[in-house]
Amino acid sequence: MLSIYYGLYKGENYIDNPDLYFDNTYEDAWLEDPHSKAMVKDIDKSELIGPNLVISPVLGSIPVSRLSGGVKTLIQIAHDPEHVYNASACGDNCAAWLLRIGKEKDVLVRLGHQMRFTEEPFDIRIENTGQVVHTRKELVTAVISQGLLEETL
Amino acid sequence: MKGRYDVVLYNNKVHYHLTIKRNITILRGDSASGKSEFIRLLAQYNGSPKSSGISLICDRECIVLNEGNWKLYLETYRERIFFIDEGNDFLRTKEFADAVKGADNYFVIISRENFPNLPYSVDEIYGLREGKYREAKRVYNEMYRIYGNLPESLRC
Repeated sequence: MLSIYYGLYKGENYIDNPDLYFDNTYEDAWLEDPHSKAMVKDIDKSELIGPNLVISPVLGSIPVSRLSGGVKTLIQIAHDPEHVYNASACGDNCAAWLLRIGKEKDVLVRLGHQMRFTEEPFDIRIENTGQVVHTRKELVTAVISQGLLEETL
Repeated sequence: MKGRYDVVLYNNKVHYHLTIKRNITILRGDSASGKSEFIRLLAQYNGSPKSSGISLICDRECIVLNEGNWKLYLETYRERIFFIDEGNDFLRTKEFADAVKGADNYFVIISRENFPNLPYSVDEIYGLREGKYREAKRVYNEMYRIYGNLPESLRC
C-alpha cells in the first residue's frame, strides 16, 4: 500500500532532493526495468533506451541525469526501499504511478503539498495518523482538518 | 523594485517566455514541463553569458540562487530577479523568509511546497506549458496561471 507522511519528515533515511540524489546513486538495473521505461514514456514523453541514453523529442539524445525530477523520484521509490523520498518533487501527472507502485508493494513517501490523486477509489495510508483513505475528498479533508501541512521549521 | 518584467531565455532547442509581476512568483505544475530545464539553462548562462550559446533578454539581471550563494547575493545585490529551484533547503528557513521580506529584488521559486513564512499571492502561482507558437526547431514554453479561475470567495 502507498503510505504518505505529510509535512516535515525527520527520519534519517529521508531524501529531500530526489532529483540530485538520483544523479549520484542510481543503479543501471533500475533503468533496464520495463516499468521505468513506461514511466519515462508517460511522464517525460521520452524513450529510455538504457542506463546511459534517453531520447527526448525536445532535447534530443540526453543522459538520464536530465530526466525530469518527477520521473527520477518515481524510479527511486519503485526500486529503493531503503529511503523515504520527497514525492513533492513529483507533479500531479505522477500520482497514478505512485498508486500503481503502492499496489505492488508497501512504500512510504513524504509530501509537502496536496497532490491530486484522481484514480478513485484508492488505498492510501496517512502515515502521520494511521488513517487509511479511499477517495480524494477523504484524503484532502484529513490533511486539512488535522493541519498536517502547517508545520514550519 | 516595482513593475512587470518579461524574461526570455532560449537556446537552439527550447524557448522560455516568463512575465514576472510581483516580488514573489511560484512556478509549479506537472513533472517534465520544463521548470528545472529553465534553471539549468539560466545557471549555465550565469556561468558563461557570452560563450554559453544561451540568450537572455530581460531589463533586469536574472540569477539562479543556490545553497552556496544565496546569503551573499541577497546581501549584495538589488533590483535583480532571482530564480530558485526546488530541493534547496534554505527555501523553508525563517532566515530566507526574513531576507526576502527586506529585499529589493524579485524571486521566482520553483516548488510545490507550501511556504507559510513567505507572503505570496495565489494569483502569482503559475505553471509552464508548451505555447501555441512553435518554431520548427524550438519548443516555446510560456507561463499560465494555475488558480486563475478561482472565484473571489475562495481566494486567500
